[in-house]
Amino acid sequence: MNNISTSDIEQFDVEAVNRYDKQQPLYAPRKKIYPKLADGVFRRFKWMVMLITLSIYYVTPWLRWDRGEFAPNQAVLVDLYHRRFYFFWIEIWPQEFYYIASLLIMAAIGLFMVTSSIGRAWCGYTCPQTVWVDLFLVIERFIEGDRNKRMRLDKSPINPTKLAKKISKHIIWLLIAAATGGAWIFYFADAPTLLLKVLNGSASTVAYGTIAVLTFTTYSLGGLMREQVCTYMCPWPRIQAAMLDENSLTVTYNAWRGEPRSHHSKIQNLIAGSENISVSSGDCIDCKACVAVCPMGIDIRDGQQLECITCALCIDACDKVMEKLGKPKGLISYSTLADYKHNTELFFATVNSELVQVNREIIKPKFKHTTISRILQQPRTIIYFAIWALIGLSMMIMLTTRSHLKINVLHDRNPLYVRLSDGSIRNGYIVKILNMIPKRRTFTLTVEDFIDGEMIMPQKKNDRFRKILLNVKPDSLLAQRLFVISSPNKKKAVQRTFRFQIHDNASSESAEYTTIFSYG
Amino acid sequence: MSKKESDLVQKVETTGYEWDGIKELNNPLPRWWLYVFYSTIIFAVCYAIYYPSIPLIKGYTEGFSGYSSREELEHEMAEVQSSHATILELIKTMDVSDIQSDPKLARFATAGGASNFKVYCSQCHGSGAQGGVGYPNLSDDDWLWGGSIKQIETTIRHGIRYEADEDTRFSEMPAFGRDQILSKEQIIAVANYVSSLSGLEHEDSLIDLGAMVFAENCSGCHGDDGQGINEVGAPNLADTLWLYDNSKKAIISQIINPQHGVMPAWDDRLGDIIVKELALYVHGLGGGE
Amino acid sequence: MSILDKHHRLETNATLLLILSFLVISIGGIVEIVPLFYLQNTIERVEGMRPYSPLELKGRAIYQREGCYVCHSQMIRPFRDEVERYGHYSLAAESMYDHPFQWGSKRTGPDLARIGGRYSNKWHVQHLTDPRSVVPESIMPSYKFLAKNKLYISDITSHLKANQLLGVPYNQEMMEKAFADVQSQADPNADTTELLERYPRAKTGDFDGNPTRLTEMDALIAYLQMLGTLVDFSTLEQGQNISLE
Repeated sequence: MNNISTSDIEQFDVEAVNRYDKQQPLYAPRKKIYPKLADGVFRRFKWMVMLITLSIYYVTPWLRWDRGEFAPNQAVLVDLYHRRFYFFWIEIWPQEFYYIASLLIMAAIGLFMVTSSIGRAWCGYTCPQTVWVDLFLVIERFIEGDRNKRMRLDKSPINPTKLAKKISKHIIWLLIAAATGGAWIFYFADAPTLLLKVLNGSASTVAYGTIAVLTFTTYSLGGLMREQVCTYMCPWPRIQAAMLDENSLTVTYNAWRGEPRSHHSKIQNLIAGSENISVSSGDCIDCKACVAVCPMGIDIRDGQQLECITCALCIDACDKVMEKLGKPKGLISYSTLADYKHNTELFFATVNSELVQVNREIIKPKFKHTTISRILQQPRTIIYFAIWALIGLSMMIMLTTRSHLKINVLHDRNPLYVRLSDGSIRNGYIVKILNMIPKRRTFTLTVEDFIDGEMIMPQKKNDRFRKILLNVKPDSLLAQRLFVISSPNKKKAVQRTFRFQIHDNASSESAEYTTIFSYG
Repeated sequence: MSKKESDLVQKVETTGYEWDGIKELNNPLPRWWLYVFYSTIIFAVCYAIYYPSIPLIKGYTEGFSGYSSREELEHEMAEVQSSHATILELIKTMDVSDIQSDPKLARFATAGGASNFKVYCSQCHGSGAQGGVGYPNLSDDDWLWGGSIKQIETTIRHGIRYEADEDTRFSEMPAFGRDQILSKEQIIAVANYVSSLSGLEHEDSLIDLGAMVFAENCSGCHGDDGQGINEVGAPNLADTLWLYDNSKKAIISQIINPQHGVMPAWDDRLGDIIVKELALYVHGLGGGE
Repeated sequence: MSILDKHHRLETNATLLLILSFLVISIGGIVEIVPLFYLQNTIERVEGMRPYSPLELKGRAIYQREGCYVCHSQMIRPFRDEVERYGHYSLAAESMYDHPFQWGSKRTGPDLARIGGRYSNKWHVQHLTDPRSVVPESIMPSYKFLAKNKLYISDITSHLKANQLLGVPYNQEMMEKAFADVQSQADPNADTTELLERYPRAKTGDFDGNPTRLTEMDALIAYLQMLGTLVDFSTLEQGQNISLE
């Protein structure tokens, strides 16, 4: 037995907000939660995730990507005004929106995949709500101190110090919220220009409105409402509940090992090195460290709950305590329901009348430990991944092989045809050519499958062409009106079909469009 | 009211009422939900005050904003109009052929002409300028009064046989039959000759007489080969296009008692800008020379 | 205790509950029903609107029968993009003789509120026969059979009568001449002077390219060519919202 002093293990006077026997009606005021700072593997991992996700969010609009002089040089830009979406080397036109749609489908399936395999990892680590609440808590802790100090501060009567602390906290929150809202608009316009405009007051009302709305939502959802957003407002926990099964990874309190909980006095015994530990006492010493660190204010020992976002901070807190007690870590651990059941049954089957401690040693190798690799080998995860990868792959193939050149032809509807004085027939067309790269290109327009069809340009009425060179500006659409003329059809056909073809000599890319020629 | 009590399983209070032994648990809405509900009610009231909303017996409440989607549209269109002020001024001052050689101006003016054509011209010439019997097709290459941009502009500006305009284009083919300038035989012969010019069905035996009559009476306006003369609005008789049908009957009827189309002068009604726009549009339909 | 806690009084007294329920429902009824009696207020005063000619009415029935309204709206909203594409925004007056209105709720195809006169009859025939032959990207089904179906006209007077009952101002003369009108409108050789007096701005002549037969195609195209052409917009006051007289 290690040497442990009483002060090492803090007892927390805390109660789960959703405690079963003391559940309050939903319209009761919220019980404020004071999450304590945790420390451990998962906390450190979460700091890292937070750093990465926040960096992605704030830095992305400032990345530059050279696309030449005819396109913006912002790496990621949703250009609503010009109807373009730029993502590094990819440029999407409005009619290619299905790429975005399939990206969204991928995101959804990815979320299913993550949820069904490693549980609510999205909620616990990467959900913006979680990340921003974490960020806001950092500020709160920095100004008001950790859990106990915060609780004392809130209980103390209003005094200048308290006021100063509260005001500065909310000001910093608002600044962060404004920065969050501010960063969002940079995705929709050239970031440096827009920043300058926002600062000198010349940006559009939409920009300020967006900042204002997002500042308000960030501040109220991340700073004020926090866990209530997850519990009451977000539909995702309820949807996820349907995706979890006994093989999903969840944060689990291994009750078979922890119960029955010992109480404070028993810790004293333990510390004193007494071997006279009750046979029936489990590893949990009911210090409630797990409840104190929980950002949702729940007690994981009550079992799997809707409120739990599986942030795993309780694992960190409990592991610290177990370490101090000299007991194996993992009283609270990531585990599947199936493993939990297996372990519980195994445990109770071997308890009998022997000492619990001894039994634990004997049966230890037989306990199932949930490992990530085992989770990932589940057929469900693999199927999700296969679907996800298939969509991703086909999208990549489509993206890389897509044409940057399109042609659309509108045949004049009125009149369908014009008979000319020499008896020949003329049809009018609007040929629309889409040059989808930011470079000026010259295309050769030809009439195919139409031996006696010749083109006339409106500017040069007397010349007839089989081939026309058209200059199209970078990243734009050229709508060229032209006519096709032909001698009357000998078979008295009403119409025929033929093709307009455009060809880019430089890139040997080409596109064609089948349309009609009306004889009358 | 009976006593409020807690249900044993869920620890939820009852409402305190009992109807025939049935008690109801008091599970009110969550607060945030309730407040959102209240705020929607407040929003609805504000909305009803700010925007037109409540129908009255005569009319409706107009709301503080006095908003009307039609007025909003009008403002928007007026803004568009005013943003076009400079380009319209250019069109006003410049000559049609100069406008045509400036691609940006030409595109703008042609678009304006297209929409005005649908309003003012399509009634006779058809919405696609395809014309009809008695109303010339403006998209083909056959022009009565000339198909250059200047000639088209003059036609639109002053009309054809439109008496209210002094500068209107005017010509009148004599009524060879009605006024008994030609005999019945001569008319049939010349009609036969005219048909032959564009390869229509004809009787060879009448050609010589017809050609002679044509040379004496018709070639002054229609030209020696019947190719027409734009200055006097005389149609080309040697091509395949006919304003009043190409049947022998129609040709004869046109010689006996010719019909003359009238086109209004648009200068006073539409103003300089729209006339120029229309000229550019018509010229760009495909037949302009 | 607030008034809200006294609801048991209400809930235990059947008569009171009945009276108050009636009161609540009446308020709802007044709000929903009464404005219908002042519907005329919401219709602009414009010149040109007239009851549909018998042939147009027949065409309209075919339009409904074939479910055209499922894909085509007849409602140009007062937005710049719609006005620039389709023409002047639709007025309430333009649907006042529609029973039921054909505003539609979905535009799989374009709005048809001002299709009248925009394309030639010939185009319409070809388009209805084989939509892809003139608009290659169209997904409209073919309505070729309309050109084969002889128009059933013997019930035309009842059609007018039914509309008259609903408030469409068909007069005695229109009713009497209905049977003749339905035939003469699509007959290129008929004298349509009187018809045009009864139904100004109606399009006359052969519509479907076959002057010898009166087909459903004739009726439908006559209807389409009339759509949106009746109102004389010069009589609509600028900015006139709703005539309140």
